[in-house]
Amino acid sequence: MLDRRPTFWALTLPPLVWLGAFFLTPLAMMAAFSTRPDLRGRLMDPWVPSLHQYEVLLSVPSYGRLLAISAGLAFVVALCATVLAYPVAYYLAFRKGRRTGTLLILLLLPFWTSYLLRVTAWKFILGSSGVLNSLLLYLGWIREPIEALLYNRQAVAITLVYVWIPFAALPILAALQRLDPSLLEAAADLGAPPVRRFLRIVLPLSLPGVLGTFFMVFIPTVGEYVTPLLVGGSRGSLYGNIIQDFFTKAANWPFGSALSMVMLVTTLALLAVAVRVVDLRRFIE
Amino acid sequence: MTTAPPFRIRIPALGIYYVGLIVLLYLPIAILFLFAVNAGTVLAFPLKGFTFDWFLRLSESTAVLKSALNSLGVAAGSSLVATLLGTMVALVLTRSPFRGKAILFGLSVLPLIVPFVVLGVALLLLFRAFGIGLSLWTVAIGHSIVALPYALLIVTARLAGFDPRLEEAAMDLGASYPTTIRRIVLPNIVPAMASAWLTAFTVSFDEFALALFLAGTSPTFPVYLFSQLRFANRLPVMIALAVLLTLATLALLLLAERIRRVE
Amino acid sequence: MSIRTRMTVVLAGAGALALLASCAPAPVAPGEVSGTLTVLDWAGYDAPDFWIDFQTTYPNATVNFEIGASDADIYSKMAAGDQADIFHPYTGWLQFYVDEGLVEEIDTSALTNWDQVPDSFKAIGQINGRQYFIPWDWGFTSVLYRTDMVPTGVDSWAALFDPAYAGHISMWDDGPGAVTISSYVHGYDETAITAEQLEAIKQEWIAQRDLNLFYWAGEPELIDAMAGGDVWVAYAWQGAYATLLGQGIPVAYANPSEGRNSWVGVYGIRKGTTNLDLAQRFLDAKLAPATGNNVVNLFYYGHANQAVMSGITDATLVDAFSVNDPGVLERTNFTPNLTADQRDAWTGMWAEVKAAP
Repeated sequence: MLDRRPTFWALTLPPLVWLGAFFLTPLAMMAAFSTRPDLRGRLMDPWVPSLHQYEVLLSVPSYGRLLAISAGLAFVVALCATVLAYPVAYYLAFRKGRRTGTLLILLLLPFWTSYLLRVTAWKFILGSSGVLNSLLLYLGWIREPIEALLYNRQAVAITLVYVWIPFAALPILAALQRLDPSLLEAAADLGAPPVRRFLRIVLPLSLPGVLGTFFMVFIPTVGEYVTPLLVGGSRGSLYGNIIQDFFTKAANWPFGSALSMVMLVTTLALLAVAVRVVDLRRFIE
Repeated sequence: MTTAPPFRIRIPALGIYYVGLIVLLYLPIAILFLFAVNAGTVLAFPLKGFTFDWFLRLSESTAVLKSALNSLGVAAGSSLVATLLGTMVALVLTRSPFRGKAILFGLSVLPLIVPFVVLGVALLLLFRAFGIGLSLWTVAIGHSIVALPYALLIVTARLAGFDPRLEEAAMDLGASYPTTIRRIVLPNIVPAMASAWLTAFTVSFDEFALALFLAGTSPTFPVYLFSQLRFANRLPVMIALAVLLTLATLALLLLAERIRRVE
Repeated sequence: MSIRTRMTVVLAGAGALALLASCAPAPVAPGEVSGTLTVLDWAGYDAPDFWIDFQTTYPNATVNFEIGASDADIYSKMAAGDQADIFHPYTGWLQFYVDEGLVEEIDTSALTNWDQVPDSFKAIGQINGRQYFIPWDWGFTSVLYRTDMVPTGVDSWAALFDPAYAGHISMWDDGPGAVTISSYVHGYDETAITAEQLEAIKQEWIAQRDLNLFYWAGEPELIDAMAGGDVWVAYAWQGAYATLLGQGIPVAYANPSEGRNSWVGVYGIRKGTTNLDLAQRFLDAKLAPATGNNVVNLFYYGHANQAVMSGITDATLVDAFSVNDPGVLERTNFTPNLTADQRDAWTGMWAEVKAAP
């Protein structure tokens, strides 16, 4: 219905140009960079393309395995964050009173405090001599401090879900806010109990927001590296940490680029499968 | 936020859930507050005693405040660009049947897949190749790219299923398409755009990996914070600043709320 | 490409001219020296405390800082064409700057504080017989431990692999560092690690993960975990030791039988900089006493100026630098320079350790 060409192009061209210049071009450079045999010589000088980095990558099975683990963890985190965020969005969308905006900002405000500092504090809650353990010991519920709360992969997942919930609520909230209240009223008038009203009307109509949330959490979590660094311990590294290391600790940008390209293609493939399964057209149409 | 719906749901349990989440979110900040007034340099319990020293030392450092201002500027600018471009893509995706839809959608959410450090290095290579000096502008460009998908997903969630007949009706009544967008569509998606902007702002404000590569000699707050975190004796001062920033934003928020209630 | 090559020639020519100009006897009053310097430095060194002599001597010159996150980060940024005039690598990461032509030779005759630098330190900044870098900060690496949790004490680097401390060990997140420790423990020649040895080292560190609580990236992270009692035994620099001691935490800094490790931070000038004169002045001021005292007292790092070090009186610092133990330096292993191949192999090895199942 937006078949008026001038409007179409006026809306499409600016994002296309911007993404083309500052996203696709650097990405293409990165792809090219992954065919460098090493980082010797000046960075911008021409080189003979080779698949050396990819050969090295394939020769180390741990990397592929770690990518699978990271994708699996991202799936679980996205699922949990979406489920746990739904009630928050529901509350904000349908509560009485006019302060919804304030309550929303209250939810996002902690994110303006550095994540690094907040996770440092989070460690004082979960650490072996932390707030939670001290409390449980004091209450006599445990005899020894629980040490499994930090420095492992579960801790990474729990922390990620915790930090994602407020953001995850936003697409769901946006979807719920456009819900026509008269539909619910009509259903209520016809005697539909609340649970059925929710399952038959609210949930299906908010599905675009739910899917949006899921992908918004899943996609970046595949490449997550900060949280594992802070609470993952020696065994909690994710694929994103390995990429990060090759760029900032190893001065090996070509290999880091190759690792990134593999992750990019894998995530895209997963998304393509997801689109088939859930029929993403329902979301954007 | 939108027109008050006649239908309300009583949801006390959800209110408790919301409050519980807020408590969990603010608990780490409360702990940071404890360390900001703790006399010891090392962050560990038991606390060593009460002090305001860390806050006083803050005033000595103009570099901190400058980096905070840098971050504010970058976040404000990049989130504006991301929201506008994200909304454009959302409008096209939800309002116009065309073949490249999946490609446009894919391209626009692709920045989510690329780790920030990779995009940071890639942009660094790009700027170097074209001789563009690093500055806050280059950081803002990077942030506008990574925040765009968030804006797109949030606005799309609002637009999807928005009854197209409303627009058709407006156009049947003789409104041009741009007018229809301005008068019918935009008012309906303003709340979502506000959410999108807020999210984009938040993404930018605390972003470190891109900024480390693109900031050049003007550090953003997270980069400056990182520089201070290398040595233990600087940590409490930075915590004091973080606490101060949070309290100030909270105070502003409550003040705005107060003013609105008086009105 | 030809344009860029020509540009390089022109720039190099300009650099040579600048070099000539700096050699010419043209004394300028410090107050009249102006200009802008850009320094690519590690986080934290941008604080004026660490270039206070330059600031007071040249009030009309401006210094801007870019931040590098690690040796690798600084090196790859310079290799990618960073325009910083001065950069700050550490021992181990020096050779490639010379090999890739990224660093300018230093005219030490222009440095008034050069005589205060011991010859052993001067030698560290020399590559292929030329002074490309000036030494600036230095310190030890050794095993730091909680004396209340490890009453028997630590006398070997092997403590980092001791199952008795399972779950309470913390290693630095660094591949070359891991290779160094394994070399000490097994008596390998660090400069000539074979492929078999590297594989053994990799397996050793993969096994060590079951004992290791976390790999620390920044010193405060380690300090907090040791103060809180989560970590008992750690790979650490003497700054962490001095900080914990100052807070009354019961810790000791081992003198392993294999010897401590020692590292030195150096400054280099980018080849082709148009600010050569100002850069030399900056480096000279970096070696001056007020700056050196700040490094010692604020960061608990050693300084290349001998007068600064012999002036230390604070008991904690005397202990941290083993000032009263003249033999300690003889039992110390300085980090040798990595080749590009070693760099790639060792960092790759460490990534495989972290990615291992």
